[in-house]
Amino acid sequence: MSLRSLDENAAAAARSAVPGSGRQLVELNNVDKIYPNGTIAVRQVDLAVSEGEFISFVGPSGCGKSTIFNMIAGLTDHTRGRLSVLGTTPRDARTHNEIAFVFQEHTLLPWTNLLENVTLPLKLRGVPRKAREEEGRRALELVGLGDSVKSLPRQLSGGMKMRVSIARALVSRPKLLLMDEPFGALDEITRQTLQDELLNIWQNDKRMTVLFITHNVFEAVFLSTRVAVMTPRPGKITEIVDIPQPFPREETFRSDPQFGEYVRAVSDAMKFKPAAAGERE
Amino acid sequence: MAKPMPQEALTPSVRRGLNAPSAGESGKSVAFDPFRERLQQILPPLAVFVLFVGGWELLVQLLRIPPYLVPKPSDIVKAASDNASNLLTSVSTTVMEAVVGFLASVVIGTLMAILLALSKTIEKSVYPYAIILQTIPIVAVAPIIVIWFGAGLNAIVIISFIISFFPILSNTLIGLHSTDRNMTNLFDLYNATKLQTMWRLRIPAALPYIVAGLKISCSMSVIGAIVGEYIAGIGGGKGGLGYAITVATNKLHTPYLFACGLSASLVGICFFLLINRLSRWLLSSWHESEMRH
Repeated sequence: MSLRSLDENAAAAARSAVPGSGRQLVELNNVDKIYPNGTIAVRQVDLAVSEGEFISFVGPSGCGKSTIFNMIAGLTDHTRGRLSVLGTTPRDARTHNEIAFVFQEHTLLPWTNLLENVTLPLKLRGVPRKAREEEGRRALELVGLGDSVKSLPRQLSGGMKMRVSIARALVSRPKLLLMDEPFGALDEITRQTLQDELLNIWQNDKRMTVLFITHNVFEAVFLSTRVAVMTPRPGKITEIVDIPQPFPREETFRSDPQFGEYVRAVSDAMKFKPAAAGERE
Repeated sequence: MAKPMPQEALTPSVRRGLNAPSAGESGKSVAFDPFRERLQQILPPLAVFVLFVGGWELLVQLLRIPPYLVPKPSDIVKAASDNASNLLTSVSTTVMEAVVGFLASVVIGTLMAILLALSKTIEKSVYPYAIILQTIPIVAVAPIIVIWFGAGLNAIVIISFIISFFPILSNTLIGLHSTDRNMTNLFDLYNATKLQTMWRLRIPAALPYIVAGLKISCSMSVIGAIVGEYIAGIGGGKGGLGYAITVATNKLHTPYLFACGLSASLVGICFFLLINRLSRWLLSSWHESEMRH
């Protein structure tokens, strides 16, 4: 791929990254999730995600970030409201392998090498060996581990394990990538490197949409086209902050005054008491 | 008042004892000499062995204890070499029975564990009976087996199987149930079928547990075979160690009795070492228990 076409890709990604453009990928209308014991996990969640967006969810523990994820992933059903993923039900979207996942734990199989680990989703789907390995190598190449396909997970550092975990998610060329605090356990330097790499992969893909859970406001602002701020009791999205900074985002963006302002906007939104948030509505 | 005295008296000698050799070792960097390290591992138990056997020989000789009560080690060696061909046949018969019983318990034990792990209902309804069966003493079960299957090879193999079966079943079952939840969630997310999760995740993850079960069962299978022979032994030239033990007891041929007992233990040790090898081969690349740091 030439430099020029790379630039075009980046430009296309930046274009499609403008909220509202492209087709609707995930839609939540007035969604409630109430557990059988009466606990309200999330309430009145409205969110429309367009193709190619990168949306982060920030908020304290217990604000329902993971609940929203589990609903979008089709792991739990929502109680009220309308929820569609890729034009169908979450469960359907997942069984058609259009959603991929990355968690804080790398969840690699310790007894088998990186290529086998990365191609696991394809193997479970019955993709023939040759096609599987081709895709596996491509995915490992994407995260910069093309040379160590035969290594075992225990030979890797935490950051490299996370890369493998991301490669495994990318191997099935998902339309929607759900990441639940993927960099939460990494040191700051590794975390920033992986943020850069993740953005690169996302930009070059053009059509992949990323939903990203984090505790870290800086991380959310640096990565996202929009940041959904959530508050607990009951869990709800109190505000969605646009980050209209164009892509590719360079390292300098982290020290840009504009960056600080976005961070303040997100932090302020997080401090709203539920009552105050109600007034704003 | 009395306590500080010996401490003060001991300290210099303890210091000398501790520091002198360690200084010498680090100077020569012996840690990198594998032969020397091996020797240091083998030497202490070997010394105990030599002292024990020598003391035994000497004591029995000095006290003039007759060999039918306590044979000297030299008597045992002589009894073994005099009856070498008999002993060898007995050992090979027992080994054969134990191996068949053990293999049967491996196959049936793991298959049953997989079946129980696949379905909670089956597990709840069957597993308690497996435990109850396990608590019945083998000496009570063995005669029934003999009545049902007739004295001879079949009964012996079945007894060996029964005794070595449960450790494999219970260990494998625990292993299959201890899969990391994050891992099973991942397999669910990627729409894996129950069988795929079993084959690609739960069984490999349970391997350390299965191997632990094998380690217990392999020595149990030898014991089972000998108990079986003891109760349902085939006589004549093809009798196993259990049968040889009964004959030696009846004849009060105590040195040969010892030789048989020691051979049985040797067979058990060989079995165990073999399984240890297998365990290392299976797990050394990824599991903590077999990793060399």
